[in-house]
Amino acid sequence: MDILKNSYLDEELEAVKKQGFLDYRTSQLPTWCPGCGYFGITHAIVQTCNDLQLKKEEVCVVSGIGCAGRYPIFMDVYGFHTVHGRSLPIAAGIKLSREELTVFAVAGDGDALGIGGGHLPHTIRRNVDITLFLFDNSIYGLTKGQTSPTTPLNQATNSHLKGNPDTPLKPVSLALAYGASFVARCYAGDVDGMKDVFRQAITHKGFSFIHIVTPCVTFDKTNITWGRLNGTVEPIEPVHDQTSFESALRLAEIPRLITGIFYQDKKRPSYMEIIRETQS
Amino acid sequence: MADVDIVIEICGSAGDGTISSGEILSRFMSSQGFEIMSFDSYPSEIRGFGKCVAHSRISNKKVLSPGKYTDILIALNNAHAISQLHTLRETGIVIFDNKPPNYLEEDQSIAGWIEPGMISYGIPLLNLSQKASGSARGRNMVALGALAAIFGIDGEQMKSAIHARYAKKNKVVIDSNINSFAEGFTWAQQHVTKVDSYTFGHSKPKPSKEKKAIINGNQAVAQAAIDSGLHLYAGYPITPATKIMEIVSRELPKKGGVMVQTEDEISAIGHVIGAGYAGKRAMTATSGPGFCLMSELANLAVMAEVPAVLVNSQRGGPSTGLPTRNEQSDLNIALFGGSGDSPRIVLAPTSVNECYTCTTLAFYLAEKYQTLVIILLDFFLSNSIRNITTPVPPKANQLNSNVAPTKTALKDYKRYKLTKNGISPRAIPGTPGGMCISTGLEHSEHGHPRYDRNTHPAMTEKRFNKIQGALSEAPKPRWVGPKKNVDIGVIAWGSTAGSAHEAVLNARKEGINVAFMSTVILSPFPVKEIKKFSEACSRILVPELNYTGQFANVLSPHLSRSIERLNMVTGLPISAEDILEKIRDMAR
Ligand code: SF4
Repeated sequence: MDILKNSYLDEELEAVKKQGFLDYRTSQLPTWCPGCGYFGITHAIVQTCNDLQLKKEEVCVVSGIGCAGRYPIFMDVYGFHTVHGRSLPIAAGIKLSREELTVFAVAGDGDALGIGGGHLPHTIRRNVDITLFLFDNSIYGLTKGQTSPTTPLNQATNSHLKGNPDTPLKPVSLALAYGASFVARCYAGDVDGMKDVFRQAITHKGFSFIHIVTPCVTFDKTNITWGRLNGTVEPIEPVHDQTSFESALRLAEIPRLITGIFYQDKKRPSYMEIIRETQS
Repeated sequence: MADVDIVIEICGSAGDGTISSGEILSRFMSSQGFEIMSFDSYPSEIRGFGKCVAHSRISNKKVLSPGKYTDILIALNNAHAISQLHTLRETGIVIFDNKPPNYLEEDQSIAGWIEPGMISYGIPLLNLSQKASGSARGRNMVALGALAAIFGIDGEQMKSAIHARYAKKNKVVIDSNINSFAEGFTWAQQHVTKVDSYTFGHSKPKPSKEKKAIINGNQAVAQAAIDSGLHLYAGYPITPATKIMEIVSRELPKKGGVMVQTEDEISAIGHVIGAGYAGKRAMTATSGPGFCLMSELANLAVMAEVPAVLVNSQRGGPSTGLPTRNEQSDLNIALFGGSGDSPRIVLAPTSVNECYTCTTLAFYLAEKYQTLVIILLDFFLSNSIRNITTPVPPKANQLNSNVAPTKTALKDYKRYKLTKNGISPRAIPGTPGGMCISTGLEHSEHGHPRYDRNTHPAMTEKRFNKIQGALSEAPKPRWVGPKKNVDIGVIAWGSTAGSAHEAVLNARKEGINVAFMSTVILSPFPVKEIKKFSEACSRILVPELNYTGQFANVLSPHLSRSIERLNMVTGLPISAEDILEKIRDMAR
């Protein structure tokens, strides 16, 4: 049973620590359910921060309410855990005040598409240089299993025992239609895929929209589950033209777990660039 | 020097140049050393020939209120002016067009409505305008010329003021205005036999050397915000606060700042909180309906301890209410709006001058006390124009009031450290070692969510205690009149305070033993001073523009005597005369 000896674990920990990404974590242990997809997302975000060597004091993470809302508590950066649905305006306010900061907005599907859905098109059309991590588990987890804006039609939830009567939104298609300059989808079970997209999103000049499909292991046993999704991920083919809005939209309308960068407009100026050029 | 205190109203249709002639008159009289308080009313409809009134009180004494009764009414449009006659003094004067283009029935001309005791001067406004400018557009200037000639205003100097007003326009515009004015002036000199005793001539004050700014409350707020180092303004158009956004949008980008016209008021306050969190000064301005939308995020500023300055220019409510009318009925929501026990700082300027000083103070306090500061204006204050001594911009030490953590404190940084005065030194993003979590959940000193039985009481108390410091940094309540044995004490707030102050001064002249108090800081509440005042008075009167007596209700637990109230919800500013009448009633 050598393997359980402390010295071995210490060595392992030392090796992990050396990689540096733990620096971006606080000592607070996440309160998420064991098996929740958020662990993997967190891991990919801190690893990306480490890969990009972002200064911790120059990273701001703004969240709303929901299981995803707790995210900033576990990251050792400037975290702002705000109110339900408003992470985008607050994150935008930060970025428009301090351009040197790297600003993340973290929101669940209820947060970003339900209560805060009105802010999405406007933050997108201003092209404020922030990154939105949309943790989409198609359910309200924190309040224990009610229908969300992305819950599939007819799926039974605690607020619709006989099945959801509301047609779900399609986040990637929406972001494209709103005119986002960076649109991607990731799967919480694919850390490498997430890291690749996150890195490009964070370095993108302008608003980056990342739809992350992630299982809620506690309140969704039928739809977005590890069992159903593992192995179904289809990374976007290299031949896809990321500058083509039409191809992106066509891809987005395919109802499968297609991941990667759907669309990117590298030329579009960010909001501050526009303000500086036209308003002063 | 004889007292001059004359209220002039110019009344016409949209397109008659009513407001611009009122502006010229006010500016010119200000340059002549008079005190002015002006107020324009526009039609609330966008199109059509709605009624415009340019109201201006001109005096060689301090002006505290707009004046309820008009002394001189200039009718540029008969129908509108007839509907304005109810505010004309019983001995007032009407200037009207005695040669209208078409024959008017007696009841269609204002001349047919003039009561015995009133005086009317008929001037052929249209004819003279056509003669001078070839069109009807100079009627307003003809009227100003006649006004100047009849009431002892220096015509030559006023002519140069008109010239200056239109200096940027082409020669045709300048000439037609100047010529119309001259035509009216000469005609009146030759044809009008003066039978009234109003005049500005004999009592012209010495023009003061100090530079006067002629601005309204909204302009004062916008200017003060920019002078206070505003970096970000976010807002959504809403009457009567929109002008603040428009001014800021012109001035702020020149200074490297940002104006965001957001999708709604929620986003506006969100942007402000984001900027405040990032260590920059930010503001939003709205009115009642928008204020309601903001209340959840406003509460986040309180809980997460983030600076935010929020202006609410009140209008009539509830709901969409009366967008272009005056009311002071958002006091309750300003003081108590939102969920939970939520302390905030509330300032309510009583004059245009204080719109400036309260705004600079608001930025200072918001940053220092890391909280929400609400500035309560109202429709009247936002739009009332005063000539004020050019305000002194804030000093350098007022431009940065954040209490930053020391190097030692950053070793184990506690964002919400419990301190003696309640202020926890705040590390702004970018500060190495200051990484922490700010949250709208109840939290420990480190910012971690805590719901245990000790944390919430301690943190609630901290949030309430910390803003108490603002009391000693805000202006002390103003006390006018004797300090003891007073029969009637009048306590007022916001734009009502000017009228109350004037009413008290006039009541004292009538021999009534009355005193006045007003306060600009409404939260935390200056209990000590107000208590002292009330103990010096046998009876207390609170006049205010709401139905339930919101301010009186706030006062009442602190006072040992019951409060008599004067509540009005007519949509108009309360006048000194209304309050004086109530004081007389009480004294009887
Ligand atoms: S409830 Fe669902 S989303 Fe929330 S932490 Fe648990 S598994 Fe994750």
